[in-house]
Amino acid sequence: MSCRMKEQNMTLIFRRVIVLIVGAWLNFYPGQGRAELERMDDAELSEVDGAGLGVVLEGFKFSHGTDVPDANGEQARIFKIGGITSTDGREVDITVNHLYISGSGSNYGENLSPVNLGRLINPYRIDVVDGNTFGVKGKAVLEFAAPAMVDSAQGFNCTSASAVVGSGPCSSRPATVDYIGERPDIGLQMNVRVGDDRSANINIHAVSAVIDGSYLRLWGDNDRRQMVGQFKLNFYSPELSIHACDQSGETCGSRVLLKDFALELAIGNELQPVFFDVDGAGNFVVEVAAIQQPATGDIGADGLRESSNAATWDFYESYYTNPDYRSNLRIGNFRVSDRDFGSMRVEGMLIQHLDIRTRDLAP
Amino acid sequence: MMTVATTNVLLLLCALALSIPGQSAAELKRLDDQALGAVAGQGGIYLSGDVSINELGGPVENSYFGRCDDETRKCGARFAYRLKENGGWMVLDDIRGNFAFEGLTLRVRTIDSGFGGDGVLFRADVLELGLPNTVRFNDVRFKIAASSTARPTDPGFQQTDIFSVGMRGEVVMEGNLLVFPVGKP
Repeated sequence: MSCRMKEQNMTLIFRRVIVLIVGAWLNFYPGQGRAELERMDDAELSEVDGAGLGVVLEGFKFSHGTDVPDANGEQARIFKIGGITSTDGREVDITVNHLYISGSGSNYGENLSPVNLGRLINPYRIDVVDGNTFGVKGKAVLEFAAPAMVDSAQGFNCTSASAVVGSGPCSSRPATVDYIGERPDIGLQMNVRVGDDRSANINIHAVSAVIDGSYLRLWGDNDRRQMVGQFKLNFYSPELSIHACDQSGETCGSRVLLKDFALELAIGNELQPVFFDVDGAGNFVVEVAAIQQPATGDIGADGLRESSNAATWDFYESYYTNPDYRSNLRIGNFRVSDRDFGSMRVEGMLIQHLDIRTRDLAP
Repeated sequence: MMTVATTNVLLLLCALALSIPGQSAAELKRLDDQALGAVAGQGGIYLSGDVSINELGGPVENSYFGRCDDETRKCGARFAYRLKENGGWMVLDDIRGNFAFEGLTLRVRTIDSGFGGDGVLFRADVLELGLPNTVRFNDVRFKIAASSTARPTDPGFQQTDIFSVGMRGEVVMEGNLLVFPVGKP
């Protein structure tokens, strides 16, 4: 939601800038029409490495939700997501009771306070970058990036709300007595209605959240003539809690607490980018193609380098050992109510092939 | 109240005025960094807005689009884009409603302090967009969908609505959006 708002503001600026440029160009062109604009090919464009746009939100606070109806059944605020159908054909609608982004110490969204997002010396970035620098050869790549990871000597522990400098790779700082910090509390409280059943309330809160090192890179694939991308989502929080309450929100069930939560999700890489498309029946398709098979005889029967084509063997060795292609999930302690289930780790997940397709269940 | 359209028109006029050639009676002189450092501009822009999108219905009336009081027609705006040559279309559909804000500010600000010590290191100008604290939404709604054709009136039209969003009331949105160049040009 915050993202959409930010985009609205950004689009406003961009629109104005574009109007200005178009205005200036319209004016300039008829009189001075000497030079002709020439098309740049991918190779030329990939050499372009302009200054990107840095974005920082200062003192940011966001909140929207749905109010409890008054005596006349009127609601001042409504925030609804609908149009979804359950597998058995019943209509699903989600009433968002509260969605917030706040400074730390919000007590699950009760006391909202401002927070900074991004650092002036390491901001959120929108940039066109040279694909050669990360293996997308001869392409200009549009990149949306969260603050980059830094050297551990200058950084902060990602999952500690009291981290000090030199404790980890995250750039965003936790709140201190003197400074509001760059790690927001984020929460979503919602009521899910399936058919006439309005019993499911789900509340998710993340304390002191960090998304440093996340990015979305987009470019075009010449052979498939399609938009492709690479997506990395890092999400760290010292405490992620999920719990269900009754409709009034007063009686809550057991709280599921995920302590020291760290998700590093990599979807698509330079060898296997993600493809986005809509098929002929109007369904959205997300695809990660399988890595190509080696030619027959390129890899020896014993699988060793000596008996294989060295270049091919090295290619697969690097593909299977590169930690950047892997996704990780680490939970320091998994607790339900007052029971501790200990820590959990899923590390080194590699997406070999992915094909997600939405399907219309409506008749 | 100034709408986005009027601001855009004003900016266009501005751009036109700025680039009128052939009148260069006086010679322009380059200001060095020091001279430029002594220039203080005026405060910036204060903007209030009231934007309505297809509140009653759009300009197109055909077998698919129509007025909002006609239940057999859709009245929201539609925005379709394609991610693959000859592929299907991603659609932002049925966009309608009204949103209003007061006190969106735009100015250039020099930052050389604060931000937990980053300000001193940064020491540069930024474009500051002051968010309006609250934005009033009046039954704003839209749908995210995927469609086989760009227009619903095209032959073979099939569409899957993925989900829809509806919003009403005051949305709290406080803070400043700071925009500045990064990297080496």
